Amino acid sequence: MRSTFMGLEASKRGLYTQQSALYTTGHNISNANTEGYSRQRVNMRPTLGYPGTGLNAPMTAGYIGTGVEAESVQRIRDQFIDRQYRQETNKLGYYESRANAITQMEDIMSEPSEYGLNEAFNLFWSSLQDVSTNPEDAASRKVAIQRAEHLADTFNYLDTQLKQIQGNLGNEIDVSTTQINSILKQIAEINKQIKAVEPNGYMPNDLYDARDNLLDQLNEYIPVTVTSVKSGGNALSIAEGSYTISFNGVELVNGSEYAELKAIDTAGNKVDGNVDDSSTSGFNAFSKISVSELGNPPVSGTEQDSFEQADFESSKGKLLSLINSYGYQNTGGSVEGYYPEMLENLNKLANVFATAFNQVHEAGYTIDDATPTGVTFFDGGTPITAGNIKVTDAVKNNSSLIAASSKLDEEGNGKWAAELAKLQSVALSNGGFSITVDGNTTNFTNAPSLDGATYQSFYEGLVGKLGVDGQEAARLQYNSETIRLTVQNNRASISSVSLDEEMTNLITFQQAYNANARMITAIDETLDKIINGLGRVGL
Amino acid sequence: MRVTQSMLSNNMLRNLSSSYSKMADLQNQINTGKKVNRPSDDPVTAIKGMSYRTDLNKVEQFDRNMTQVNSWLDSSDDALGQVGEALTRVKELVVQAANDTNTADDRQKAKLEIDQIRKQIQDVANTKVADKYLFSGTKTQSPLFVDGELNSELYDSSTNTFAPGASGEVKMEIFDGIQLQVNSSNAGELFKNVDELMVNISNALDESDAEEIGNLLGGIADGTDDSLSEIQNKVLEARADVGARQNRVEMMSNRLSLQEINVTKQMSENEDVDYSKAITEMVTYESIHQASLSVGAKIIQRTLVDFL
Repeated sequence: MRSTFMGLEASKRGLYTQQSALYTTGHNISNANTEGYSRQRVNMRPTLGYPGTGLNAPMTAGYIGTGVEAESVQRIRDQFIDRQYRQETNKLGYYESRANAITQMEDIMSEPSEYGLNEAFNLFWSSLQDVSTNPEDAASRKVAIQRAEHLADTFNYLDTQLKQIQGNLGNEIDVSTTQINSILKQIAEINKQIKAVEPNGYMPNDLYDARDNLLDQLNEYIPVTVTSVKSGGNALSIAEGSYTISFNGVELVNGSEYAELKAIDTAGNKVDGNVDDSSTSGFNAFSKISVSELGNPPVSGTEQDSFEQADFESSKGKLLSLINSYGYQNTGGSVEGYYPEMLENLNKLANVFATAFNQVHEAGYTIDDATPTGVTFFDGGTPITAGNIKVTDAVKNNSSLIAASSKLDEEGNGKWAAELAKLQSVALSNGGFSITVDGNTTNFTNAPSLDGATYQSFYEGLVGKLGVDGQEAARLQYNSETIRLTVQNNRASISSVSLDEEMTNLITFQQAYNANARMITAIDETLDKIINGLGRVGL
Repeated sequence: MRVTQSMLSNNMLRNLSSSYSKMADLQNQINTGKKVNRPSDDPVTAIKGMSYRTDLNKVEQFDRNMTQVNSWLDSSDDALGQVGEALTRVKELVVQAANDTNTADDRQKAKLEIDQIRKQIQDVANTKVADKYLFSGTKTQSPLFVDGELNSELYDSSTNTFAPGASGEVKMEIFDGIQLQVNSSNAGELFKNVDELMVNISNALDESDAEEIGNLLGGIADGTDDSLSEIQNKVLEARADVGARQNRVEMMSNRLSLQEINVTKQMSENEDVDYSKAITEMVTYESIHQASLSVGAKIIQRTLVDFL
């Protein structure tokens, strides 16, 4: 026999359940603009029918429903799309940072323009032509020296600026690892909380969201793999558990324990973009990322494992791009990287230019009686580099020392200056080159080589490569941005809050609540009939 | 597919920002007048732009060299012309003086003029252009004649030889690998011969021997290289040589200006903005942008809340 008040109980359950659905709707609306928030739904299920099963269960017709209960509150999210999103975030992080590094380099090189190295070269060659037509004129000689200084300054400027950006990149590596460490710590914290909540049979949806959000951020820096470990106790089957995060097979987070990453340079110091004391000329290249032992807090001073540049998955993550731009030690022990290579090439250009120019210049004749034969024109250091190249003080202070003449004691002879100007189009290969003036040939067999390139074509090659790389990075950045947006839209399509939908739900739940209340009134009326109307025949 | 407010506003934001960046790009192009402002915009165009700049720079430089060449050649031509004229006058005087009707007194008067002409030719030999002596070979800071005599720095009278620089060629580059001599070869020798001739004439006039004076006129065929006719001929030769080079320079100069126009044109085609195209695109993007703004504003306003 069923209970007299069974209807009341069923409707009361309805009231409560609809109420929790209403509150969840309110929670969704409140979080409509929260980043990383996934909409939540109350999973409702009917409560078990009456009567229950058992030997002494009453035999009645039917299996009458007893109402509804809120089984769980679940966030609506597709983990497969999360994976896709993170893959694209990896790529975007890489190409965004790469495009950024290349753009900065382009800004410094400022080609093609009237201010770059190419123009500085052009002006210098031109001024030598002017010396060749006016060799006895101190003014044109002075101009040539000014232009030479300008050229050397341009080399110095490029060197300084590129190194400055390289330093900034080193600093960014440091900041990025700090950022990664902070994310790892936060994820471990959240894991800890989730592990405390789940065994009680609850779904900590907002913690899941926060953790996924952190994972999105982490994937911008490094590609990580995620596996989940179920909580014990009364954890629901749909509970997501604690995340174990690993990178290249090395665990970075396991439960509430996490590791700490540190970027180490070849001298064993932290990569931080500060010019190392031991080598003031530049930066020590990146050597490895050191991962500490797991712990909470991580065990400092220990190393669980380490990654070199070659261990990274190619073209993934901002950290790798920063390392590639900053410069790293490859497995062969030599330094590679975008900025070091450009710096090295500029050094080579400056060195070959200065050396070959000096050789030719020394073979000419000046109009200075005290020093009739050509002197060293460019110096700066051993070896001459883009950073230290300068016009020698002797030449700077005495424009007569420009060796413009092909013969001794001929102030009107500008043929050697013309030959110096012609170095512009001399292809520098291993065999050296020779210069013939008035039938006399001078061989420069010891001249340095640019592998058959002229200064200009060598430099054009550098700028061309920069352009192609920049274009590629920009295109790939755009592509991954577009794909990520599509994926983001797919994810939003599933998880984000639609106000229209929530309003519709609001009405649905509100009406259901009202109807339950009405039901209680109806049952109340039937009970009233029994209690106050029965057994009073004739009254 | 379920579409939510945040998707709409995300999409709208991205579209707006991409249309902004496209417009910024076009604006940059229109403002600078260049299609390519950094190598990654178009690597090939950028590299070509660098080469064109170098080419243009060279052409401009050769053009500037050409100005120097012209001033040398024009001044040489002028100076040699003056020498020629002076020699014509000398010939007149000599022809007149060779006449036996002249008295010694008459010849002394002719000698006075001859001596003046000698000075004048020496001045011409010391012609300067832009502070450089035209006829001193590559020793451009030393005059050919000092105090009426050949400069001892350039000419050793004991060995009768010129210093190596005095006969040096001044050459200038007027095109890639093409050098042109701008001074006259062996001008020192020429002026020395002229001067010696003048001295001979002057001396002969002093001696007042009509036949000897007459001999100095010489004939082209007499094989001597110190007669007046022979010297006149040599001056003419030197002048013709300058003239021929002037012609060459003129042709070269035309070629250079053509080259300059070509390179400038190629450079412009390579990297300059097609304004009509860029502005049309800009206008198109502007209207698209406005449309997306107004549509966007409508989309994000309305939700069911407004109607409940």
